[in-house]
Amino acid sequence: MTDAKGRPGTGERHPLSREMRAAGLSKSYGATVALEHADIALKAGEVHALLGENGAGKSTLVRIFTGAVIPDRGEMQLHGEPYAPRSILEARRREVATAFQELSLVPNLSVAQNFLLPALAGAGSPLISRRHVLARGADILARHGLGRIDPAACVGDLPLAERQRIEIARAIENAGRVLILDEPTASLAETDWLFEQIAKARARGVAILYISHRLAEVREICTSATVLRNGRSIGTVGLGSASDGDIFEMMVGHRVEHARRPARVAGAARAPRLAAEDLAGHGLRGVSLQLGEGEILGVAALEGQGQRGLFRLLAGLQTPTGGVIRVDGRAAAYRSPRAALRCGSGISYLPEERKTEGILAGLSAATNVVLPFLPRVGRAGFIGRHDEAKAAQPSADEVALNPRYLAFAIGDLSGGNQQKALMARTLATGARTLLLFDPTRGVDVGTKESIYAAIRAFAERGGSVLFYSSELPEIVQLADRCLVLYGGQVFRELEGDDIAEQKLVAAMIGHGSRAATGHVPAPAAPAHAHAAAESAR
Amino acid sequence: MTVMNENPIAQAGFQQSADTRRSARVSAETVSTLAVAALCVVLLVGARFISPSLGSWSQVETVLVLGSFLVVLSFGQGLVILTGGLDLSLPAVATLSGILATNWVGASDPGAWCLLPVVLLACGCVGFLSAAGIVWLKVPPFIMTLAMSIIVSSLLLGYTKGTPRGAAPDAAVALMKGHLLGLPAPVLFLVGFVLLGWLFQSRSVYGRYLYAIGTNVEAARIAGAPVTAMRILPYVISALSAGFAGLMLVGYSSGATLRMGDSYLLPSIAAVVIGGSSILGGRGTFLGTVGGAILLTTLGTIISAIGLEFGLRTIIEGAIVLVALLLLREELFQKLGSLWR
Repeated sequence: MTDAKGRPGTGERHPLSREMRAAGLSKSYGATVALEHADIALKAGEVHALLGENGAGKSTLVRIFTGAVIPDRGEMQLHGEPYAPRSILEARRREVATAFQELSLVPNLSVAQNFLLPALAGAGSPLISRRHVLARGADILARHGLGRIDPAACVGDLPLAERQRIEIARAIENAGRVLILDEPTASLAETDWLFEQIAKARARGVAILYISHRLAEVREICTSATVLRNGRSIGTVGLGSASDGDIFEMMVGHRVEHARRPARVAGAARAPRLAAEDLAGHGLRGVSLQLGEGEILGVAALEGQGQRGLFRLLAGLQTPTGGVIRVDGRAAAYRSPRAALRCGSGISYLPEERKTEGILAGLSAATNVVLPFLPRVGRAGFIGRHDEAKAAQPSADEVALNPRYLAFAIGDLSGGNQQKALMARTLATGARTLLLFDPTRGVDVGTKESIYAAIRAFAERGGSVLFYSSELPEIVQLADRCLVLYGGQVFRELEGDDIAEQKLVAAMIGHGSRAATGHVPAPAAPAHAHAAAESAR
Repeated sequence: MTVMNENPIAQAGFQQSADTRRSARVSAETVSTLAVAALCVVLLVGARFISPSLGSWSQVETVLVLGSFLVVLSFGQGLVILTGGLDLSLPAVATLSGILATNWVGASDPGAWCLLPVVLLACGCVGFLSAAGIVWLKVPPFIMTLAMSIIVSSLLLGYTKGTPRGAAPDAAVALMKGHLLGLPAPVLFLVGFVLLGWLFQSRSVYGRYLYAIGTNVEAARIAGAPVTAMRILPYVISALSAGFAGLMLVGYSSGATLRMGDSYLLPSIAAVVIGGSSILGGRGTFLGTVGGAILLTTLGTIISAIGLEFGLRTIIEGAIVLVALLLLREELFQKLGSLWR
């Protein structure tokens, strides 16, 4: 199929020639300037990293390359010719393809159909042959090492990690000259498959732009990196000669110091603030836990082991089919997040999906922060011009959210600042128990540190935190105690120095004996288990 | 560390990472309100060239009086649209209130005006029923309100046997025909209503909740907003304002007809959208809607002053609403707003 497309042979391409250049790109979105001045050059057959904090302008730059956004200023060249795509399809015709972080697959179509869109019918035929589509889909899957996926499967039914692999495979399939991978490992547990595909594309002479927050990964696969900060490209460095410290300094403007988790007393003496007894339903099969005053309790699990259900049940978004939830020692039956906030000392929930469950895009960041307790902000039901910003200020300070962002529409802010605002909201409610589902998903180092600091300070003041994280170092750094969920049950409980990545991974894949009584469920996803073991090495 | 290509500006600012990106000073909402208001003035002044009788102060008064119906109606419609819904039952509810008022209250008994709140209560109940169907039975808003509209209209047809009787209550006539401090009473009422409406939508806790729900119901629920109550509220308010507009219409025309509200359905939606609101909810201001309503009324009076046939007039009015909807959309105002930068 590669040849059928009339792709130019690799012979005419000089190795390490400048395949794509961009100079002086800038773009503003209505109220916010997203990109002020970006220069970058990609070489054929090289993997080039794009680094920067959330809001540095990475996504905008990617969208410009992809034709999804048209820059206000600046120029681009592709293979020596001017390049100014006005649509994603035009970029694809020029053989520039992107695997998007927020996947661009059509969920109700099959894997094969997604691969072939928008040209489902073969060349010169107006009709779509189902058999033909499936055969071509199967062929593409096989060539990208995904032969195990059924080309006829509906994309929406596949697990997130498989969907991400399909998104990546489709981009590689369409990328003759430039391949852009935006956070390709966000929902992949292991990188072997990805790196193998990248190596193949590189050998073909494709220039690859790789965007990731995980520096170790970037070092493994990339040879040079361009750093963006506040919408400007700060510079391009060879990764061989730059230390992590150098790169952080370029990204943040100052050195990042890693705070260690101070040794904390085990929570024996603490009164339980939130307790669950034999909680069942929505993926849970009898989970019991106790969360004490001033305690940070981590939850570790592979994807789909019931953690989502646990948090949604405790937050009042869903009702359990069995079991009891106790708040401050009393049985509680709240049926909405609003009721959860008002139950006993209060339970506040930070949702998983920032865009769809978290932010209210058109409203100001301040409104987003104070929404749960609006009547308290107003005077006699009315809210003055500055009341909201004033009420949001203290908790914004706690997460180090720049106060001038409070007046901005939250949708115009970067992902990191949105997350800070949402974290500020959970703190500002005054609830004594926080349920944080992946509180630092897809945010940069600086934001992470601010959120960690806020969580620790909250626990110091006697608050209780239950958090799930897809990143093990986060659990190791933050948690006083950690529950490992497996197959909808608590598989193991770790405490203090036992919370180490190896032990967590072993428990996450169901290795070793269960702590509690009951049968060990069969592994739900062997591929995943294997993957997690890989990534922990 | 080898820096291969350096950005001189970035290099200069390397020490402190100051974020120099700014936000636009003028929001799209402000621009749209100003633009619509300016267009109204231009039209009123420009109308002099069409006919010398136009563009006078008395014509401004006429526009404001005629526009007051639409402003009241589109306040409710605006709140419903703000939460992502649509209320197609406004004309039927306005007619309901008009017919009940003329039948129950009438002109004769001066003490009967206290039945007017009962009339409004009946309207509010219709709104609550619509909301109940939308919130609990999960019927799409336009179907639910359309069905409610047909039910109410049919009930009224049966109740009046086709010919509404009775006269307008004195209170309604006084509101629409009276004068106070040398100004027509409806103009003064309009000023007060706009002030209260703006306070409710832009400055009250309830208004904030409605914006939140219109932006993203699920996120608002997770944030702890009282979602169910706040989804019902706009339909009740919408029915109440339609009921009130019905009373105003009766007071103005001294009687009720079975189709008295019909010509206000499209304008009530158009006024909201022209005023810069998103038809998908979550965005827009009441002041913008007021501008949209006045603009539509101005256009209407100019067209009727030219003296065209009724059929032709209706066609032109429809076309103007359509053109206004196409032209005066958010994107335009956003572009205008960024020119200010």
